Amino acid sequence: MIQLKRLNKQFGARQAVNNLTLAVPAGEIYGLLGHNGAGKSTAIGMMLGQVWPTSGEVLICGYDVSAHRRQALQKVGAIFESPAFYDYLSAVRNLEILSSYTALVSPRRIQEVIEWVGLSGRERSLVRTYSHGMRARLALAQALLPQPELLILDEPSDGLDPEGIHEMRQTILRLRQELGLTILLSSHFLHEVEQLCTRIAVLNQGWMVFEGALAATKTNEIWVRLKTKDFGLAVKELLQARMITRDRDECMIALSPGVETDQIVRRLVERAIPVYEIVPAEQTLEDFYLSLMERQRKAQ
Amino acid sequence: MFGLHLRNELWKLFGKKRTYIGFGAFLLAQNAMLLAFKFTRWQSEMERLLEGNGYLALEYVSALTVALIMLIPQIALLMPLYTALVGGDLVAKEVEDGTLRMILSRPISRFRLLLVKWLAGGIFSAALVVMLGVTALGFARLWFPWQGMFVFIPGQIFNVLSPADGLRFYAFSHLFMTLNACTVLGIALMFSSFNIKPAAATILALSLLFANLVMEGIPFFERYHQYLLTFHFHAWRLVFSQPMPWAQIAQSVCVLLAVNLTTFLIAAAAFQARDIKS
Repeated sequence: MIQLKRLNKQFGARQAVNNLTLAVPAGEIYGLLGHNGAGKSTAIGMMLGQVWPTSGEVLICGYDVSAHRRQALQKVGAIFESPAFYDYLSAVRNLEILSSYTALVSPRRIQEVIEWVGLSGRERSLVRTYSHGMRARLALAQALLPQPELLILDEPSDGLDPEGIHEMRQTILRLRQELGLTILLSSHFLHEVEQLCTRIAVLNQGWMVFEGALAATKTNEIWVRLKTKDFGLAVKELLQARMITRDRDECMIALSPGVETDQIVRRLVERAIPVYEIVPAEQTLEDFYLSLMERQRKAQ
Repeated sequence: MFGLHLRNELWKLFGKKRTYIGFGAFLLAQNAMLLAFKFTRWQSEMERLLEGNGYLALEYVSALTVALIMLIPQIALLMPLYTALVGGDLVAKEVEDGTLRMILSRPISRFRLLLVKWLAGGIFSAALVVMLGVTALGFARLWFPWQGMFVFIPGQIFNVLSPADGLRFYAFSHLFMTLNACTVLGIALMFSSFNIKPAAATILALSLLFANLVMEGIPFFERYHQYLLTFHFHAWRLVFSQPMPWAQIAQSVCVLLAVNLTTFLIAAAAFQARDIKS
């Protein structure tokens, strides 16, 4: 559905995206991760033909966005962080205006979408009277109007309250289940990505530093939370014994392959280091992401 | 679809309150000028000028004459201000608000988008000029009779016209005023298409016009008047000359049309080349 081939973007002296190659297959919810300035929004801008690549190719639904914009974006909907509308016009008028840039949309279809996103009864109100959550729903409505096959969501939960974030997450799942859409989700919320995505790419300073199935992020290391009298001494001892590979956060250790927690306890107790607590911690996407970033920092 | 895009652009433009600032300001300015004409020595000085040239003042201090007197400073000063304000907003304000990013995630070409914006701006310019002319005449008619028209622009035009001819030329002059307004709007739209703030686009357009206006007033530049934009903006006044200087009017119209085309092409090139980011 999306194919980026050796994509580069340079703003002046700054290289925003470096040799980015990735493919988003149809039917996936694909996560695009990275800190601020990593190049996510620039990459999305290039996918939508808003930012011109310095070199490389962007294919959306099989069409080159730069050369065949109309065909490439015909079946694409997009939502950006802090969705912007014509605040002085009604929601319906906004939807009419924005959808007209893709195709003629019937009033009935607009009403259907308004009902789908749960804005019925407020569609004639001026958008300036809308809460942030309602604006997010309106953004979703405008993205769904051209009956897209691909949705590009750039930080869709940004600025929403916890209830709004939960609602957005449920909506994204509904979109795939009920409408069968392919979704590219760029987000800071690692927990959200973990719950929704099947595959992810991680960007760092314009480079793609990881690409793969979400499951692949969880199998590398077993982390354990260890509480002792002297964590530093315990780590030193365990490293010498090659029972752990590394530590972090003054309380977490990564077990070497084949090592179990009872062996750790035994080793520490034998060395007169009291163990107050030892709990296996399931590795989250956040753990994976942070360790990936740390490795990148060290590599530099 | 093009008609639909244009209609939507008009919704956006005329849905905004700030679009109407110009209309409101014109109404206020017209009434202020009308009161000044009626209740100061302005009227008596004009009557003296007419009588000094052998005309019966009562026949020519009319709604048409006063409407034209009101138009001259408003077309020179207020009209560029408000068209530049709207033109400066057309692209830059949408970038600033983030709505352009929403639009450009859709399969519309940038050229078409800019073209409908330019056309919507042209419609706004025409509406502003027509409203200006109609209200000037309407307000003047409330205070002055429907009689012959006296046109006096020092050093350029001195003419008296029958009410029918006066109205015909008055209406005809609005075509050229609309061209002036479109030109100012086109210049502001051109600046607006670059990566700058809406206010900066408006100020740049007005600065360009102001520089032209200042140069036009400096005797040294008299021989270069034909290169100054504001010189060609006077074409609408020439309509009232007797005989009408068609060649000079046609030259000014050609220059203004060329400026319109040039500014639009520069705007299209700049808009096409730039990156639209949040």
